[in-house]
Amino acid sequence: MVIEKKFLKGNPLKDISEYDFPGLRRALSLGQENVIQEISDSMLLGRGGAGFPTGTKWSLALEQAGDKKYFICNADEGEPGTFKDRFLLEERPLKVLEGLMIGAYAVGADEGFIYIRGEYDLPIKIFREILEDARDEGILGKNIFGSDFDFDLTLVRGAGAYVCGDETSLINSIEGKRGISRIKPPYPIQEGLFGNPTVVNNVESLACAAEIINKGAGEFVALGTDNSRGTKLVSLSGDINLPGVYEIEFGCGTLEEIINDLGGGVSYGNKPKFVIPGGLSTAALLPEELNCGYSYEDIEEAGSSLGSGAIIVVGESRDLVEILLKVSRFYMDETCGTCFPCREGNKQINFMLNQHKNKKFTRQEVEIIKDIGDAIAAAARCGLGQTSLSLIESIFDKFPEELIEEVRHSEKVRNR
Amino acid sequence: MKRLEIDNIEVEVEPGTTLLEAARKINVNIPTLCYEEELSIFGGCRLCVVEVNGGELLKPACATEADDGMIVKTHSPRVREVRQTLFELIIASHDISCELNCLTCTRQSSCELRVVAEDIGISRMRLNPIYRGLEKDFSSHSIVREPNKCITCDRCIRKCEEIQGIGIFANSARGPETEVTTFQDKGMGNVECTNCGQCIISCPTGALHEVYHSEGVWDALYDENKHVVVQTAPAVRVAIAEPFGAEPGTVATGQLVSALKRLGFDGVFDTNFTAYLTIMEEGTEVVKRVTENDNLPVLTSCSPGWIKFIEHFYPDYLKNLSTAKSPQQMFGALAKTYYAEQAGVDPEDIVVVSIMPCTAKKFESRRPEMNGDVDFVLTTREAGMMIKSAGINICDLPEENYDNLMGVSSGAGDIFAASGGVMEAALRSAYYLITGEELEDIDIKPVRGLTGLKKAEVPINEDLTLKVGVAHGLSNARKMMELIKEGEEFHFVEFMACPGGCIGGGGQPIRADMTSEEALQKRLEGVYSIDSSKKMRRSHENPMIQKLYDEFLGKPGSHKAHKLLHTEYTARGLN
Repeated sequence: MVIEKKFLKGNPLKDISEYDFPGLRRALSLGQENVIQEISDSMLLGRGGAGFPTGTKWSLALEQAGDKKYFICNADEGEPGTFKDRFLLEERPLKVLEGLMIGAYAVGADEGFIYIRGEYDLPIKIFREILEDARDEGILGKNIFGSDFDFDLTLVRGAGAYVCGDETSLINSIEGKRGISRIKPPYPIQEGLFGNPTVVNNVESLACAAEIINKGAGEFVALGTDNSRGTKLVSLSGDINLPGVYEIEFGCGTLEEIINDLGGGVSYGNKPKFVIPGGLSTAALLPEELNCGYSYEDIEEAGSSLGSGAIIVVGESRDLVEILLKVSRFYMDETCGTCFPCREGNKQINFMLNQHKNKKFTRQEVEIIKDIGDAIAAAARCGLGQTSLSLIESIFDKFPEELIEEVRHSEKVRNR
Repeated sequence: MKRLEIDNIEVEVEPGTTLLEAARKINVNIPTLCYEEELSIFGGCRLCVVEVNGGELLKPACATEADDGMIVKTHSPRVREVRQTLFELIIASHDISCELNCLTCTRQSSCELRVVAEDIGISRMRLNPIYRGLEKDFSSHSIVREPNKCITCDRCIRKCEEIQGIGIFANSARGPETEVTTFQDKGMGNVECTNCGQCIISCPTGALHEVYHSEGVWDALYDENKHVVVQTAPAVRVAIAEPFGAEPGTVATGQLVSALKRLGFDGVFDTNFTAYLTIMEEGTEVVKRVTENDNLPVLTSCSPGWIKFIEHFYPDYLKNLSTAKSPQQMFGALAKTYYAEQAGVDPEDIVVVSIMPCTAKKFESRRPEMNGDVDFVLTTREAGMMIKSAGINICDLPEENYDNLMGVSSGAGDIFAASGGVMEAALRSAYYLITGEELEDIDIKPVRGLTGLKKAEVPINEDLTLKVGVAHGLSNARKMMELIKEGEEFHFVEFMACPGGCIGGGGQPIRADMTSEEALQKRLEGVYSIDSSKKMRRSHENPMIQKLYDEFLGKPGSHKAHKLLHTEYTARGLN
């Protein structure tokens, strides 16, 4: 029986007068290197989807020369099925602020941005008030808590583009440019916002960092599995009885248990047709593959990815082509339009799917879809493109009898 | 130095070298489409992706720096497979269909997609083109945009912004709707476009081309009641043989004359004649204004791209422009007056055609103050197409001479084709006009060549040393204008809108087989070879010009000369 493990979750924490910022105070007394060491010791992996070690990112940023560095909180939560950052922004915003300030202090940044998804009205309202209060209370400003750490934070409201969740696109957006990815290298850590070294961290990563510094790396590192430490906020949605945000210790159970014990089971039919384990950019898993533990490594072994922690359950009575069309429409609309494989590939896929309302795909069509998928995964310019066909390709792989014309007799013979 | 291995060959390159450059060093050709040597890296087409250290994710060779120990595969089975698919996608987005047929495309013989298809060894084309239904932009007198052919490689955007310093293009919309357009979709005729046509040269797919005048010229040639005369600009003769397979810089002056006569023109004249006249008028003006210290420096006025630029961006300096019309327009004015008189033809029946290396000349001919003196302007490319379609290969023709009335040219006119040429020709004549003596050292080298900003001091006599400047390419023009604004002293400054001057004009043949820099260099050598081989290298020595002044105009700067050969400008400002 899987139950929640509350490391990040807790009572609402929004009133700045009721919070003392113990993590930040401790960080300021530890010194920059020690803070980074503690984050590295915690083995925290970035929670935005890519899973890059946070400690490594911070220590690379600290090493960068230059007087001006920026620290950005990526709160442009746009991965379909993901709403865990929203939960933190609405319920525990002060932890997010604290984590952001700890990070900024650790890498030597005196200016920061929090880039919140444009549709997130409530979090934007909450953060606006918090920033005002924090300036009044001297929590943002010069010589924070009597130290020599100066920091100010600006709120930027996203304009609705999914691609701006990609850090380089987000940086372009803050600069007032088109939301399109940049070529890496240089990485933002080398040349980011306005050409200066810049760290971009996800909301949940920063909330984790605040708790790690607050409680010490030991408590965090003791949770989870060897390669996936701590807890994860999981967004359960789709054809499920109890959707919501749940905090799970890595390795505490299987995907199936999470769906049944926390999510209350499947709501559209008796069992899932398939499950998307990490947001729309990850490959589908069949019911018989759900017996895998919830950790980065186990889900990878099952052939998918933990991604942003969005578990989307698709009930057995759903129509596959309809799902394929919706997924493909999403990527077609949301590609930034800069690199050819992503822009043209997703458009072609959508075009082909649209021709197929009630008939099966020929083997040649499936081959084209697979070729486009391979080209996008190998050659697109940013993460959005590279993963944009993961789900669609996996659905074709896993439901051949439902989607693809039967192999003709002659072909069978030839294949033998 | 960085040591790496590309396709099993050891390479050593300077730090900062990209994989694309490193591969070229060992003669490995990686296909590209959005890459252009002189522009910033875009990394959009992804055709140049290569395998690095066997990684799953392929790396764009144009944007990846070579590093120690890299093992690079530029044509592995996987890379070739991915490239084929990418190319299929690009072609589907280029909307090849019956309407957008390759056969009627302006780039039928210089299509980069075709070159890339061959480089990749494309063996399949399985995708349906998705028609975007975008409207063509016919708002400009010089340039047409066909957005359905555009593959959004953004080369035009970067060319306009980075090389010309203007930036009339931008991406708009997003995702599959992403397109290249002008500010608020106003169209190229309604923004600060200078009509220079450099975007056309950069476009790999023919989504940008000149406004065609060839149909009008054919009609005039077929009309027996019309007397059709043509002038050919200096930069055309070193490029016109290119569409027929010759190297850039091949001088085909006589063959061009011959071809135009075969096409049926009633008179074939050399724009050099009026280039020479420009020098006389402009030189006289420079001498007068320098002596009277009147609105210095004098700025040249023969490049119509530059004129539109200054009208938009530096309207306060319009009074500094020479009032002399460009050679094209002087020819037009004289053709319908002096020539009509001499030839005994009703000016109403005369049709004046120009062959220019330039797209902005089309706009210039349509300026109201030019009275429609020039009826049609063909680019070098259009002239090439017309000659071909008359069944003529220019390379096979014998040489013929220009018609005599306005035909003999001095070398001073030929070098108009290159940046610094107007300046050099004007200096040769201004020296004579001021001192009454010939300039001994006739090659004025500091103003030649492809350096963006050039300056020189030419001692005229004990009291006067002329300070001159030369700028080509509009980014350099802007820099020069800023120097002038800051108070740097010049007497006379030459401006050309296109990099390299007219030889690099937006109407010149497009090379899919070499960089524009290489083509420029070769055409440049062609131009100076003509000049140095000419006996008569000073404008004021031309006997036909002297005859024209004696019989018709009076003297340089006379009332009649002013009426016919000078003009005024429009302060346009920013839209």
